Amino acid sequence: MRKASSDTAHLYDGKTVRSSAPSRKKLAGQTGIGSEIPMDAIPELEMPSFIESLIGGPIVPKMKFLPPDKFVQNMQLGVYVILVGLALLTYIISPPEGTIWFMLLGSSDLALIFQIGIIAGATGLGFWGAYQRDARYMLGSYSLFILAIMRFASSKTSVNDLFGLADSPTLLASLVVIYSVLLIMYFELSNGVMRYSMLDTSIRTNEVYVMNPKKIVGKYHRSLIINPIIATVLASIVLSANTILPWFVGILSEDTATRLRESVELGSVYGVALGTLFVFIVVGALFALDLPTYIQKKRESSDE
Amino acid sequence: MWSRKSALLGSMAVAMYLLGLTLRNSQLVTIAVVIFVFLTWAALFGGHADVASSGRRADEWTGEEGVALGSVLAMRKLSGSRIFEDGELTVTLRMQNNSGLAKILEVRDRVPEVMRIKQGSNYILMELGPRRETYIEYTVECPLRGFYSVGPVAVRMQDPFGLFHKEKELHVYNDFLVFPKMEDLKDTFVKSRVPKIFTGAVNIRQPGPGSEFYSLREYFEGDSFRAINWSAYARSGKLMVNERERDAVSDIIIIIDSRAVSETGPVSRNALVYSTRAAASLAKYFLGRRDSVGVVVYGDEVVSVDRDTGKKQLYVILTKLAGAVARGNIPLQVVVNRILPHINKGSPIIFLSNLEDDPTIVSALRDFRARDFDVTVLSPSSLEFEFDARRLDRTGYEVMKTERDVLLGELSSLGVNIMDWEPDMLLSTALAGARGF
Repeated sequence: MRKASSDTAHLYDGKTVRSSAPSRKKLAGQTGIGSEIPMDAIPELEMPSFIESLIGGPIVPKMKFLPPDKFVQNMQLGVYVILVGLALLTYIISPPEGTIWFMLLGSSDLALIFQIGIIAGATGLGFWGAYQRDARYMLGSYSLFILAIMRFASSKTSVNDLFGLADSPTLLASLVVIYSVLLIMYFELSNGVMRYSMLDTSIRTNEVYVMNPKKIVGKYHRSLIINPIIATVLASIVLSANTILPWFVGILSEDTATRLRESVELGSVYGVALGTLFVFIVVGALFALDLPTYIQKKRESSDE
Repeated sequence: MWSRKSALLGSMAVAMYLLGLTLRNSQLVTIAVVIFVFLTWAALFGGHADVASSGRRADEWTGEEGVALGSVLAMRKLSGSRIFEDGELTVTLRMQNNSGLAKILEVRDRVPEVMRIKQGSNYILMELGPRRETYIEYTVECPLRGFYSVGPVAVRMQDPFGLFHKEKELHVYNDFLVFPKMEDLKDTFVKSRVPKIFTGAVNIRQPGPGSEFYSLREYFEGDSFRAINWSAYARSGKLMVNERERDAVSDIIIIIDSRAVSETGPVSRNALVYSTRAAASLAKYFLGRRDSVGVVVYGDEVVSVDRDTGKKQLYVILTKLAGAVARGNIPLQVVVNRILPHINKGSPIIFLSNLEDDPTIVSALRDFRARDFDVTVLSPSSLEFEFDARRLDRTGYEVMKTERDVLLGELSSLGVNIMDWEPDMLLSTALAGARGF
């Protein structure tokens, strides 16, 4: 039978060993207790939400980042530079005419102020988001930039002609391509700020171990330069379909090629769509033939 | 595989493209095309489609033949396959890249959830050069007994922007066993007033080879001359030989309650955890004294380890205890009825249970006592575990505690040595309390 006394002195050469911690008994008499499962008994499971996984990290930062290391600081700097360029280009390629607010307000001046406000808001949020490494502001910035370029009016590229660009359609098209690449690079870099901040914090808190970090970072750096260049070149080719297509047709029939060159449709957005269609049919066929795997196998076995 | 980010970009591009065509807006179409190109390039040359991998155990690895099995190989070695609770296990993961291309891999070696990473990391981001291999070493602490498996190894490759990725699980598993930790009872018994709970080498009242004198009998052909009692021969004129009492060790039977109810309480502090630790400690102690120890674990079935002696028996018992899972609700009476015919009369029986949710406990223990078995009950109190974890309110605790005290009193009146084992009490203290010294 359980003994009333917890005196165990006789068992331990005169030293009394308590059979239970005093604090527990004290707690039993004092704590107001419910029957719910205590919070510390439930394991923490953090599943990223859809939005969180899109932007590479939590919207409301649950993880307290450690101060940014040099790599993250450089990326933040990159984001700032791209933001300036992006803001300028957004202003140039998206005049207020044709925007929803122009249609709603009916005034060009008011629409311009509204448009500038949106661009400034997108830039400001982007700056603050990258500086604070807070995904909420970045998400707001992305949305505002996309909103700024949503125009419902023109067929041809139209601009706020600051530098007399309207006379050169090629230059205008190039400007839009550069704008698009900058937009994607802004998405990527700001996303990278979050990803690498999380990674850096995880490394420093020993959650993850990184072997050869310089090589991993080096590959990312290379991709930041190579991918936009390739995207620009390929996109330019795709968008030049209205020039390239008549050239190919010209091999067979010069008359048809001339008609194509003079065709209004081919020079319009539908010409771009046709070119895109051709190119992506080719790309789709390559994927259907499992070319990526074939190329990969070829590269894998290159040294064997 | 598309990531959510690439899916978002893709959807955005499709939306802009269609909207651009509908509104005849070249800018939107251009932006959409650039996004398409960006995604296509990443998908085509992002290096994501190449994790053709396979995994094998390290001991199956016999050289470069693994090349044929794929480009990324994982092998693992453990520092041991049997450890005790709170012990540490070092895991060495060997990653090989058998292709001619360098790869950036994200590797996560899955360890059981209850394990804690003590040193190193099981999650590694690495650049593995062409035809290179690397070793990853980490140490895990194993706080709970059981059968465990390390693995599989999850490998992921993705393009630098995280647009596309490929994941693969390399099914490399290594099993290991965590034995319940043991408390050294030796010192306790030496220091206690009674030297031993149970007398170790109990002489059973049967003639046989031994050291103690049992009786005299007439000489039969074949008896050893050394056994002849010459004094008796001188007195009686007949050849008489000494018979000796057969020395034997006592059989200790340890019964462990592993019914579902025995796991009431936190994962690391419940009756089953305490019972298995106590059983392991007692088995070690008695086997060390060259007693014969048998174990019965019951829950959804009755699992028994036949009585035996020696170190091997200790490992057999520890293995059974490591695998004890809280399941089922077999009444103690069923267990008693089954084992009673197989236990030597008078064998000490140690019963480890929280004594909950079984109306047959009193009658079952009465059956033991009626046959003169020396019964000791160590009862880890689930109430205390629950109360400590704040899963039980004070009123409920008091009511249930009173019920429990009544039950303990009833069992005590049967002549059972019983101890209400509180969570912070050492096993030796609980044993001492149960045996009344």
